[in-house]
Amino acid sequence: MYAVKSVFGALGLGLIGFYLGLGIVAILRWLFGYPDAWGGEINIIGGWVLGVFMWLMGIGMWGQWGREWFGLKTYTRQLPGWQRYFTFNTDHKVIGIQYLVTFMVVFFLAGALAMLMRLELAQSGHQFISNGQYNGAMGLHGILMVAVAVAAVIGGIGNYAVPLMIGAQDMAFPRLNALTFWLVPPVAVGLLATPFLGGIEHGWTAYPPLAIRANSAQILFDLSIITFGLTSILGALNFIVTIIYMRAPGLSWGRLPIFVWAMFATSWIALLYTQGFAAALLLVALDRLGFSFFNSANGGDPLLYQHVFWFYSHPAVYIMVLPGFGLALELIAHFSRKPLFAYRYAVAAFLGILGLSGVVWAHHMFTSGMPNYLHGPFLVATELISIPTGLIFLSALGTIWLGRLWLKPPMLFALAVIFNFACGGVTGIFLADVPTDIHLQDTYFVVAHFHYTIVGGEIFALFAAIYYYFPKMTGRMYNERLAKLHFWWMFIGFNATFFLMHLPGIKGMNRRIADYPSELDPLNLAVSLAGFFLGASFLVFIWNMVYSWVRGPVAEANPWQARTLEWQTSSPPPHENFPVPPVVSGGPYDYGVPGSKHATFPAAPSAGFAGAPAGGGGQ
Amino acid sequence: MHGKHLISVALLWAGLTAIGELLVFADLFPAVGSHEAEDFDSIFRFLLILGIPVFTFVIAVVAYAALTWRVRGERPAEDGPPIRGSGWIPRIWLAVTGSLAVFVMIYPGLTGLAKLQSSYTTYGWGKEEADLEINATAFMWQWTFDYPDGTQVSLTKGKEVVIPVNKHVRFNVNSIDVVHSLWIPAFRMKIDAIPGRTTYMTVFPTELGAYDEDQSYRVQCAELCGLDHSKMWLPIRVVSESEFEAWLASLKSEGK
Repeated sequence: MYAVKSVFGALGLGLIGFYLGLGIVAILRWLFGYPDAWGGEINIIGGWVLGVFMWLMGIGMWGQWGREWFGLKTYTRQLPGWQRYFTFNTDHKVIGIQYLVTFMVVFFLAGALAMLMRLELAQSGHQFISNGQYNGAMGLHGILMVAVAVAAVIGGIGNYAVPLMIGAQDMAFPRLNALTFWLVPPVAVGLLATPFLGGIEHGWTAYPPLAIRANSAQILFDLSIITFGLTSILGALNFIVTIIYMRAPGLSWGRLPIFVWAMFATSWIALLYTQGFAAALLLVALDRLGFSFFNSANGGDPLLYQHVFWFYSHPAVYIMVLPGFGLALELIAHFSRKPLFAYRYAVAAFLGILGLSGVVWAHHMFTSGMPNYLHGPFLVATELISIPTGLIFLSALGTIWLGRLWLKPPMLFALAVIFNFACGGVTGIFLADVPTDIHLQDTYFVVAHFHYTIVGGEIFALFAAIYYYFPKMTGRMYNERLAKLHFWWMFIGFNATFFLMHLPGIKGMNRRIADYPSELDPLNLAVSLAGFFLGASFLVFIWNMVYSWVRGPVAEANPWQARTLEWQTSSPPPHENFPVPPVVSGGPYDYGVPGSKHATFPAAPSAGFAGAPAGGGGQ
Repeated sequence: MHGKHLISVALLWAGLTAIGELLVFADLFPAVGSHEAEDFDSIFRFLLILGIPVFTFVIAVVAYAALTWRVRGERPAEDGPPIRGSGWIPRIWLAVTGSLAVFVMIYPGLTGLAKLQSSYTTYGWGKEEADLEINATAFMWQWTFDYPDGTQVSLTKGKEVVIPVNKHVRFNVNSIDVVHSLWIPAFRMKIDAIPGRTTYMTVFPTELGAYDEDQSYRVQCAELCGLDHSKMWLPIRVVSESEFEAWLASLKSEGK
């Protein structure tokens, strides 16, 4: 029970730190003669900084890291079983699962908020919640889901799979990796505390001047997101270094599994652009304290914020979907039993999107009143992105062509990614095109479009990866019938909800509203019912995962007969992944190539390894 | 054997596209109240006509592959053919998708944009002179509309915004607190109201219309502006010129 004690201890320390920070700022304010020393938002900032710091120290940073800086001996505790998930553990596999479980919980919380919103929107007029409550629920749903979309695949699947796939023992900076995860709980606490300070009334985008005039929940929002940005940047740095320096001998760039390439491109985007969002929110926080960056009343410019914000938040869309694409291509190759079609073009597509992602941000601002000469270039750049995206489709469709399609649950979800993103991509054209965007901007058409890309493209890929790696992570197999039931239920519910949602948008329903004209009633009722249907599908998933983790049949080491390295070790893998370091000698997807081997384990007996043929082979 | 599959997929694609293109005839749009709306609807339909085959191509290949080449039984007995895809197919694909993107970029993208921003066409953001200029001011959570003769319309002073048909009506948009957005669904035009600067948009209404008959005749705030964002709208009525004059006069006599 050491782990539970240590989490509670760290929580206690965090709380002490929070009040200590409040107090220190209050004393300073009192010393310098400010009125109402306790009442300012700057007190909350002081409390947050000290609270987060002491929480991190309590959870294990002091023992495993901080002591070293003072010439003391560090210590680690190797805890058995479930307890290691509640401590400062540096094993990338533990951190991956920590991320995954945390963000699945956040996903369901934010999903419950979506259900609440659809309940209110089922009919025009006010039924269940007030305008203020609706705005709070909507803002919280938005930002929690953005957090899930940014971190669930990268932090969860990326952390778990990337070191295994490249034959490394761990990430390049294991302690930094643990720190990255343990920064997340304060973010969750901060965001979930916003309803007690009046709720986030400015949505997840936090446009000033509204964000400057909003209630004090805003300051918690800023602090949480800046902290979350820190995890994103540190995590990205770790992935880039890991992928460059930790690859197994023989694993050249041309032999890298496509998911690792996707993670590489994604990490660069996260590293380069996340600071924009953090800076924008820092400036909003300063504006609330009396500065004037965005407040036009004192000479600031509200449009400046939108530029800085979207300079991050459009690339962030690719932080969300590139790993999804990578997973979809990865799984499609394994489950079609064919080499990935046009591998080099797919890699070029990821790098091309990385390059273009930074020059398209202002397509979110076509109706913002920005200067007219900016519309043309951003229209052109935005349409250009369809070219690399098209190459990803080429790779997917070429791979399944003439394949041996093994329609297991991960493959079903991967194919659904291709289907959903095709729909999301086509509707994106309407929004990249200025003349149509003027009407569609800020309507439910946009809501439908981005749910198609983010949920359809990334969350489906996340579920594909969860079903794919579940036997590797837990050593047990899930119930396949329930998994297929979950897939079809979710796929139909998702398409019903979000395909229908385009229509109220075109007809004139603006987004972020608690109420709308009565003639849109039938459409909204249909969307709400479909939404509840979609929401219910996740109950099957939860049941399947929880039951199978405890009671599922024991899985073999390589149930999918895949060739990549993560499947050539036992399930779950040992502490440093491979008993013998692998040597890579061929491509990751050379299915059907006689005599090809992805990797060998030189010191191991040649008969095979942990029940799986080394390198997979043709069979 | 390749040829048979290609023909089957092409037929499936054609069939799905034919069904999909029926969406073009669907009653998707709100009332068409202006030149801008006519243009929006035709561009939207055009992009739909182009987009549906792209979408159905993906569905056709995925559906055909999943039905034709699915592995029955517990696990695949053999691997698929090792096709690398490094020959001419990716190049053709790149050429086709690239040309499609460039085509859409130019028409209707840049051409539509040029029309919208040009001061020589009848409408848009570029039209400098207008027959009627109305100053629209947004604040939490209301609009006021000031007519050139001093008449003011707001939620308390008058119940609806009235504009004449077949005239260039220009809205000069301001905000006195946070970012709002002026949107009239029946006209398909929108512009944000930014504190500290004036933005504008010009519309050319071509049809008579009123909120009572069609709810897309309303001035709606489209940018999240806080608590009562969803209540921030006003009905708009498009009337003939003589009715417009009479309306202005009647408001005058009432002392508004």
